Amino acid sequence: MSNVALELTNVRKKIKNKEIIKDVNLAIRQGEVYGFIGPNGAGKTTTIRMIVGLMDLSDGEIKILGKSIEKDYKAAARNLGAIVENPEMYPFMTGRQNLRHFARMYDDVPKGRTEEVIGLVGLEKAIDEKVSKYSLGMRQRLGIAQAILHKPAVLILDEPTNGLDPAGIREIRDYIRRLAVEDNVAVMISSHLLSEIELMCDRIGIIKHGELITEQSVKEDSEEADQSEIKVVLDVKETEEAIKVLASLELKAEKEGSQLVSLMTRETIPQVVYKLVEAGLTVYGVTGVKQSLEDQFLELTGGNIIE
Amino acid sequence: MSNFFSLLYNELFKIYIRKSTWVMYIILGLIAVGGAIIISAFDDVQPTEYTDNWKEELQEENEALHKDNEEFGYSFNDDRIMKNEYLLENDIRPLNYGAWQYTLENVGLVAIVSLLTIIIGSSIISNEYKWGTIKLLLIRPISRNVILLSKFIAIFVFGLFTMIYLFLVSMLGGAIFFGFEGFNPSTVIMTANGIEYVPIVGEVMSEYGYRIVNLIMMTTLAFMISTIFKNSSVAIGVGIFLLMGGNIITGIFSQYEWSKYLLFANLDLKMYETGNILIDGMTLGFSITMLIVYFVVFVALAWLFFNKRDIVNQ
Repeated sequence: MSNVALELTNVRKKIKNKEIIKDVNLAIRQGEVYGFIGPNGAGKTTTIRMIVGLMDLSDGEIKILGKSIEKDYKAAARNLGAIVENPEMYPFMTGRQNLRHFARMYDDVPKGRTEEVIGLVGLEKAIDEKVSKYSLGMRQRLGIAQAILHKPAVLILDEPTNGLDPAGIREIRDYIRRLAVEDNVAVMISSHLLSEIELMCDRIGIIKHGELITEQSVKEDSEEADQSEIKVVLDVKETEEAIKVLASLELKAEKEGSQLVSLMTRETIPQVVYKLVEAGLTVYGVTGVKQSLEDQFLELTGGNIIE
Repeated sequence: MSNFFSLLYNELFKIYIRKSTWVMYIILGLIAVGGAIIISAFDDVQPTEYTDNWKEELQEENEALHKDNEEFGYSFNDDRIMKNEYLLENDIRPLNYGAWQYTLENVGLVAIVSLLTIIIGSSIISNEYKWGTIKLLLIRPISRNVILLSKFIAIFVFGLFTMIYLFLVSMLGGAIFFGFEGFNPSTVIMTANGIEYVPIVGEVMSEYGYRIVNLIMMTTLAFMISTIFKNSSVAIGVGIFLLMGGNIITGIFSQYEWSKYLLFANLDLKMYETGNILIDGMTLGFSITMLIVYFVVFVALAWLFFNKRDIVNQ
């Protein structure tokens, strides 16, 4: 297992006695792409602002490659690249002038790196135009370019797919995957739309009302999936007796019309079927209902409502 | 600190890449040369050209000036008469009007340099908020103190450049329209000790120099206000109001003993040279101490607010 690149421990943020971030813990490994999902106003941007040092923490600690963003700011910030909210640049300067401006803020970014980055994000044609003439997609690319100039170990991208067309999203997705795989960068991507970033993430954390309510791996058919409980619908003629059989297996079941609904792991399903048949019950069907991440997300967050 | 000069370069780059800065320079240049155009275009305000007969010319001039005084019943020409008499007594040939004297008279335009520096100083932080670029600036491995310092110094580098620009344009305009008096000409001026014959270069330096005090203090004040309120219009407004109205405010309160502690009462250090001290008991040392105290308070407040604040959206 690779090293932890970004670590949040018991992070809290209070603004005017209102707790906006409540005890968030998370860790992102090198080479991992982490999706940070939540409805608007859930605390995504506040968390990101704390990670990049734009906001103070009320409590807890944030470490980048083991360096605290509060106690050892310079060392931590050296390994951090970010877009916070919209990728805003100096509108009266060209793309190249903007990149040079930010490159000069590091001691160790060689001149050739600017050109290299321009090529990486595919902005060669527009780089000498003023940013005020850029489209949102071009600005996103320039935003990513300034974030990776200094080859950071941790890359934070706040809503990087905002305002991009599907082709643009695919391009960014490919590019982020490449950064993670080839350069071992830990990437944290925030979004309020799960569907847009699901495909580029290894793992997803869902935040709501300032709490990280769930974290899960995106990869299906993993061992993890076998261990997690799924919803199973049982179509049995003798419902009352079936409930008793399930109770003997320490499973709870609820009646939904003429069917039974129960939560169990994938591994226990064959056992349940065997027991039901053994008890002489008429089983018409057993269906495992696989929830998509999208369903779970909507269920957990209650849709995309600004609170 | 190795890359402090890079930061300073960045800040100056952002000032001078914008068209609005160049519009300011063009306007300042037009005003600085405009005076020379007006003087040379109208005969009756043209300065006298002295010839080898300068003694007679000076006497004639004094007679005419005395006559004017009697006509208007007010002795507004006395300074000039005294200067001419001094020249005659000491047998000094008067200097013909030229670039140096024009530049000396243009010293009032330092107020415009102050105005432009206040505008830059008021917007150097708040613009970063307006553009949203403050976030990209403050996530670099550079402490906020150093970023603030680089901006603060950039303002005064801009002020210095603009001052040099005003001087050069005035010299050039003066030289084109009136001629050049030479590299180190001297002239007569009024001082606390009466009339003295001094080199103009020194006079230009001291006149411009005294006004830099006002420029630095008002710009620092505006910089502080804009850092606290993240809003350039408030800072520019307050800065310009105090730049123009400082003397009036001092005038209103000058009857009170405590008014000597006001910032505006201490801005004009030239009063210690001319002897027109505003309030009895004030000394050069006192004024310099007051200025330093105000400066430190302004900078400390700006620093405190810039350092402690969470960066959120406007």
